[in-house]
Amino acid sequence: MFRFFTLFTGGRKMKPCFNKIFKSVRRIDTFQIITLPAVIFVFLLFVLMLFVYFYNALPAFIREGLAVYFKNIWQASEEPGKEYYGLIAAIWGTVYTSMIAILIALPISIAYSVFVIDYVPKKLKNIFIIVSDMMAGLPTIIYGIWGVFALVPFLQKYIMTPLYKNLSFIPIFSYPPVTGYSYFSAGVLLGIMVTPFASAVIREAYQMIPFTYREAAISLGLTRYEATKILLGYIKPAIFSGMILAFGRAVGETVAVSLIIGNTFNLSPSLFAPGYTISSLIANQFGNAYIYRHMLPVLYAGGLSLFIIGLIVNIVGLYLLRRWQENVRI
Amino acid sequence: MSEYKIRKGKEIAFTISITILTFLGILPLFHIIATVFVNGLPVITKESFTFLTGTFSNGGIGPAIAGTFILIFLSSLIGLPVALLVGVYAYEYPNSIIGKATETLLQIMLEFPTILVGVFAMSIIAIPMGTYSAFAGAFALAIILMPYVAVYTQEAMRQIPFTYREASFGLGLSRIKVIFRVLVPLSKRGILTGVLIGMAKVAGETAPLLFTIGGLYESYPVSVTKPVGAVPLLIYTLVQSPSKGNHRMAWGASLILLLIFLLIFIPIRVSLKEVKL
Amino acid sequence: MNKYAIETKDLKIYYGRKEIIKGINLRIPKHTIFAIMGPSGCGKSTLLRAFNRLLELNKDARIEGEVLVFGKNIYAHNVNPINVRREIGMVFQYPNPFPHLTIYDNVALGLKLNNLVKNKDEMNKRVRWALEKASLWEEVKDRLWRYPACLSGGQKQRLVIARTLALKPKILLMDEPTANIDPVGTRNIEKLLFELKKDYTIVLVTHKPAQAARTSDYVGFLYLGKIIEVGQTKNVFKKPKNELTKKYVTGILV
Repeated sequence: MFRFFTLFTGGRKMKPCFNKIFKSVRRIDTFQIITLPAVIFVFLLFVLMLFVYFYNALPAFIREGLAVYFKNIWQASEEPGKEYYGLIAAIWGTVYTSMIAILIALPISIAYSVFVIDYVPKKLKNIFIIVSDMMAGLPTIIYGIWGVFALVPFLQKYIMTPLYKNLSFIPIFSYPPVTGYSYFSAGVLLGIMVTPFASAVIREAYQMIPFTYREAAISLGLTRYEATKILLGYIKPAIFSGMILAFGRAVGETVAVSLIIGNTFNLSPSLFAPGYTISSLIANQFGNAYIYRHMLPVLYAGGLSLFIIGLIVNIVGLYLLRRWQENVRI
Repeated sequence: MSEYKIRKGKEIAFTISITILTFLGILPLFHIIATVFVNGLPVITKESFTFLTGTFSNGGIGPAIAGTFILIFLSSLIGLPVALLVGVYAYEYPNSIIGKATETLLQIMLEFPTILVGVFAMSIIAIPMGTYSAFAGAFALAIILMPYVAVYTQEAMRQIPFTYREASFGLGLSRIKVIFRVLVPLSKRGILTGVLIGMAKVAGETAPLLFTIGGLYESYPVSVTKPVGAVPLLIYTLVQSPSKGNHRMAWGASLILLLIFLLIFIPIRVSLKEVKL
Repeated sequence: MNKYAIETKDLKIYYGRKEIIKGINLRIPKHTIFAIMGPSGCGKSTLLRAFNRLLELNKDARIEGEVLVFGKNIYAHNVNPINVRREIGMVFQYPNPFPHLTIYDNVALGLKLNNLVKNKDEMNKRVRWALEKASLWEEVKDRLWRYPACLSGGQKQRLVIARTLALKPKILLMDEPTANIDPVGTRNIEKLLFELKKDYTIVLVTHKPAQAARTSDYVGFLYLGKIIEVGQTKNVFKKPKNELTKKYVTGILV
């Protein structure tokens, strides 16, 4: 190949220059030529997605500025001048239900991880793990239909109504649970759905604790409970990271939530009030948003906020997990 | 002595609470499966053939099942090649900036809100095309499928012992040949697992389909550029209707979906040690 | 100049900042078995991989100096490592035939992917020739379509040798080829090396001085990155010039 070049250029003087170019061209081998475009394509697609949301949300920002995120009003109208929209109710719903979800996920995922690793006989261990993985992969619409016909009636009858009847002076129980569709139901269902994800992270971290720490704890004459507490303290960053990732999952869930949250614009701290989440708002309102001039950009703005929340939460969660993993493996 | 008893008491209380909490976490799955079977089985067994193949007004979900299969097939067609290339790249260059960024991006995409992917697909495919279509839905599903397969591919290839890499290079093969003609075939089991898991996940997704495929339940789909139905989307629509008859159909469809899911998921899961969520 | 199959000129190898091989000048004559012996972990495998540019698979590795194969520096800037590797074959410490390919396909792989044969017929001939040369043909001729898992360790290693021979290299590099094989298998492979010597130059890395004594014509003692002593095997073993060499061959230095 090199001789080919020298034929044309009269070789000797050009040699060093050509060598350098030749070397760098050769470094990009055919493998990269095939795979790199795919990688770049995926990155571009992701950026394009962000751009699409931003671009389509722009009219809302132009019209109302960032106030669109802080107002609680949803007034659709045939007359464009009379339309006013605000997303705060949906944002509140997203945050509120996801917080309920991780409050449920925290104790259960920790308990589950400890149980599976410390208490379960080896033969049954795999079964428990498979069950958890199945719960993680189960189609969310099935959670949804179960939520509507099984979970909500149960919660409404046995938990919400008694609480309301007896404790309605406490603000969070103050909303009458008429149908059962509420932040509470959505939060519980989300909790059930995201626990397996948190469990996976925590379980793996707990399993990876070097045996010598377990030995040390037991050799100090601690009970199982006390030793476990210490070991859990050792993996606290992983637990934290697992919760953040679970939160990210809960925030993005759409179908199951939209079926049982009641789809009402509320800004109430009461658990039993119906509400909206950003994702259920989009699912619910997008279909008829075309009729109105200004609703669509607002929905895109909601989507944009969900995008950014999801991105931040995932990045933070992953970063913490990786940093902890690197420290521990030393 | 009593201090010991207090510690012992805490120990027992701890063990009991862990057990209860664990079972509380596991219980919903069994209850869900039971509920779906109890409610769905009567619907399916009543006239199974009609249910599985008939159109909606005849009491069947045939078009929806067909739609789901079309979507799985089409999204795999679009997503698998990209996923394989990305996964292989992430395996081969784990330490480069692009390689690490790719891994991070894949992890982010694994958990990304699927409704956003659906609306995106609507914006750049359904709207310009002027119609709902299977293609738009498949595009959204491909985006969701891709990170699963890519991550599984990368992991599967990481498991290959270094000596096989040495041996293949030692035979004077170029990098492309070493990777695509030796290492990828060597890890095909792991890759296949990723493909199946991705397909199982994508078969059950609803949110990405909401604004992309439109829905088609009175006739069988014939074109990928026209609206199509899918089982999860059908269930979603039916559950929201007030009619009890529709609810029954929803349960039947749920059972079908559950069976599809279990049939793919359980065999894989049982033959594998670890699953990426 | 072409008297030697391999010649190194002040060869230095670094892993990151650490100097593993500290300036080596070796001359390996053609059609001999040249053993490189030394305690484990002193760089023998690293040195061997410098000869077929397999060292580059490790991103931390850096080379200085020259390695001449039949007089040509294989690290010159216009040399493609792929071509180097086709001329020099390698056999590894753990018998590593590709588990997902049949015995036949294992031998044929190099031929197929390097487009060295034109049709099925030629392929069959070459595969048979390679297996015969590796003394494995008689044992596997009836089960070419089975997988290597059904072979013993020694047979697997001979399959690896066949895989390498199929490409008709001129030099064979062997990285402790019998380290994981039972004594009978070891013996068979050592016998095979004597046969192969007629057509190839063999560089044999081993951590058992006894094997070097048994099989090689020339031997070099590598210790802590330097060649302590090199020469004809019988001389090095019977009358070692260096104290360290003496300790190593008598078993004191391990």
